[in-house]
Amino acid sequence: MYPKEIEKYLLKVQKPGRYVGGELNSVVKDRGSVDISYAFCFPDTYEIGMSHLGMKILYSLVNARDDARCERVFAPDTDMEEIMRREKIPLWALESGEPVKDFDLIGFTLQYELCYTNVLNMLDLAGLPVRSADRESLTPLVIAGGTCVCNAEPMADFFDITLPGDGEEVTNELIDLLKEYKAKGATKREFLIAAAQIPGVYVPSLYEVEYNEDCTVKSVTPTCGAPGKVIKRNVADLDTMFAPESFVVPYLESVFDRTTVEIFRGCIRGCRFCQAGFLSRPLREKSPAEVERQCRAICESSGYDEISLCSLSTSDYRGLPELLSSMLPWADENKINVALPSLRIDNFPKELMDKLNTVRRSGLTFAPEAGTQRLRDVINKNIYEKDILSTVAQAFAGGWTAVKLYFMIGLPTETKEDIEGIANLAQAVVDEFYHCENKPKGKSVSVNISLASLVPKPFTPFQWEAQDKPDVLIEKQDYLLSCIKTRKVQLSRHVPWTSFLEGVFARGDRRLGKVIETAWRKGCHFDSWEEHLDREKWTASFEECGIDPFFYTARERDLEEIMPWDHMDYGVTKKFLQKEYLKAHKGETTPSCREKCSNCGAARLNGGVCNEFRKDMV
Amino acid sequence: MNSVRIWYKKSGLVIYTSHLDMNRCFTRAVRRADIPLWYTEGFNPHPYLNFLLPLPLGQSGEKEPIDIKIEEDIPLDEIGRRLNSVLPDGLEIVAVTSPVNKVNEITEARYIIDIEFASGSEAEGFASGAAAVIESGVLNAEKRSKRGIQTVNLCEFTGDFSVSYAENRVRIDTCLATGTQRNLNASLLVDSLLGEFGAQPEKVSIARKEIYTANKKIFE
Repeated sequence: MYPKEIEKYLLKVQKPGRYVGGELNSVVKDRGSVDISYAFCFPDTYEIGMSHLGMKILYSLVNARDDARCERVFAPDTDMEEIMRREKIPLWALESGEPVKDFDLIGFTLQYELCYTNVLNMLDLAGLPVRSADRESLTPLVIAGGTCVCNAEPMADFFDITLPGDGEEVTNELIDLLKEYKAKGATKREFLIAAAQIPGVYVPSLYEVEYNEDCTVKSVTPTCGAPGKVIKRNVADLDTMFAPESFVVPYLESVFDRTTVEIFRGCIRGCRFCQAGFLSRPLREKSPAEVERQCRAICESSGYDEISLCSLSTSDYRGLPELLSSMLPWADENKINVALPSLRIDNFPKELMDKLNTVRRSGLTFAPEAGTQRLRDVINKNIYEKDILSTVAQAFAGGWTAVKLYFMIGLPTETKEDIEGIANLAQAVVDEFYHCENKPKGKSVSVNISLASLVPKPFTPFQWEAQDKPDVLIEKQDYLLSCIKTRKVQLSRHVPWTSFLEGVFARGDRRLGKVIETAWRKGCHFDSWEEHLDREKWTASFEECGIDPFFYTARERDLEEIMPWDHMDYGVTKKFLQKEYLKAHKGETTPSCREKCSNCGAARLNGGVCNEFRKDMV
Repeated sequence: MNSVRIWYKKSGLVIYTSHLDMNRCFTRAVRRADIPLWYTEGFNPHPYLNFLLPLPLGQSGEKEPIDIKIEEDIPLDEIGRRLNSVLPDGLEIVAVTSPVNKVNEITEARYIIDIEFASGSEAEGFASGAAAVIESGVLNAEKRSKRGIQTVNLCEFTGDFSVSYAENRVRIDTCLATGTQRNLNASLLVDSLLGEFGAQPEKVSIARKEIYTANKKIFE
């Protein structure tokens, strides 16, 4: 539903369906029937947010409670925002159309750093002060979860609470506590002090940060009994974990218009640039039977004809052969397409490719990440050119003609040869096509290089690295372009300015809060959309706040430096990351968890048990 | 393979769903209802589902036709029952029939247009003004067509036209050219009439009531 005042403007904006709710399987509960109302906010537009699995899980989880309701909120696009501001209509939630500011909990999911200004903008559109300290009453409480809260420091001034790690269990515990404190008329401060005692709850305002003269962090001191280390939450058993069996089915086409079912969390690979891989350790697998049950239930309740099996590295799922042989006949019969994103190029067996061929054929995407073996060893990608070429040869023989390859530039120790290596590898893939005897007749090959730039992230072995400045990255992109000699290879690249801002906030500290607020007040939002990102406003904001953004990106950090996020504990130890950093610079690789346990430290979150070696040890 | 015409009512929040999105919505509903839809036999098979007269964004419809093809014989009322049990609020199957007329036989449709103004005097003024414009037989507007943007006289596309008002509300009851040959979007007529007088309504609701073939016979 929407507020009555907006009705006459609905047909004046693009895609009004974004703002009205009423989709299939959306849950509408009466405010009077529940104790706690939770507004789940996605700091981007409807189409992007509706693809997000975390929101679907938490939405169903909260609505499964009789004493609580969860509604969805998205960032209005600029045309709608203009009307809302002009007509003074505060941001509303889609199910009831009620103002967001009347909810008890306002929860944001932070998936990428460039959405930070959108968070401020949404709070402001809701009619709330953006700073935590200026919101004095117990409710609404503004909380956040998602990948970026592993270093919530740049947003510490704005959030009352952040929730590092898996949200399934802690969300319920937090709602229980809030219900109790709301009933007894407690103050916000009393509640926050109590909430900080729940494992996996971080209350930024209870920590005092001191800085050294060189602007690095000197100390982070907990107050009011808050824990010295906030340990991320870890759901131990994915089979018994809450998983939704019905999704809100949008009318509008969302970015990923399909159902998604998780098959495991964590990753056995130790790619040194990959934050998700380290943050989500230890590995926890869902059983194939449970995955299949969930797939069937969701397809039945939603009517979707595509399922995506989701994880960080799908082909590492041990239950994959079992799952596919039991699920594909059913999928085929019901004309359901099964998508396997995140496949590794070195374990993509022919049988798997044949099976996938029976349903609709999508493009093949692989991620060598670096152009030479030396650099792939530095980043611990652990795949070899011969694997890449034999897999694409197999794919060409199977009728595929288009391959997409993901690469990164700006990697530590990178040289000109490594960049040439990207062009050479793409050329080798093209050559492989022409050498292939069973290639599709009369067709040409197309190899698409998708080029990203490294953003060193917290909780990775590269967290100490300097990030290339935008002009250096542009030079490297141009150089790569000059190395490509055939039109069968296309290069898609992006403006490194977004990576630069992402890098500032990824490894930022609390001093950045005022920069984010300044930039937002100047009108910055939707920074992840290239057409919206306003470089001059950001530059001016850094200058006004007296902060050098390159302090956060271009500076190589000392291994012993206190990081702004050191009081967060994601399982993997700093010592392990330091060891990996040193090995990277020596070009030494680390085997996957399946080959050998490297003692990353994450198993202690699971009671000392890691799925990976539990099975080997028996 | 069986051709079936399903008739649906579209109202409430769903009117903000565009035609393309409606197509996806119904395809999924048919899957949820476990109705064996016939799939096209191409490289990329897709279910056969044809909206005969797509409703423009923001308009409601009383009885809108969709043609589907199904693989098995299922009683018509069973199809309606199954679909109604899975459709979201705002969409309802009101009839399921075997097609009688062809889509190109459609000539006109009847629309009820309700316009709400801030005051009764604005409503009164607009009602008499609109009647006079239609009476005059000339209301030129730019209309998008396959041949690009052209200026056309909307009165040539307008059949019966009556207008009434009560308090601050105006109701227009009109028949407009509809179909694959000649078609006038009711929103264009309303916007042009409002534009003539610079009127700023609080709310406009447009509902398609009935669809006709030649000589105002109900399209079946």
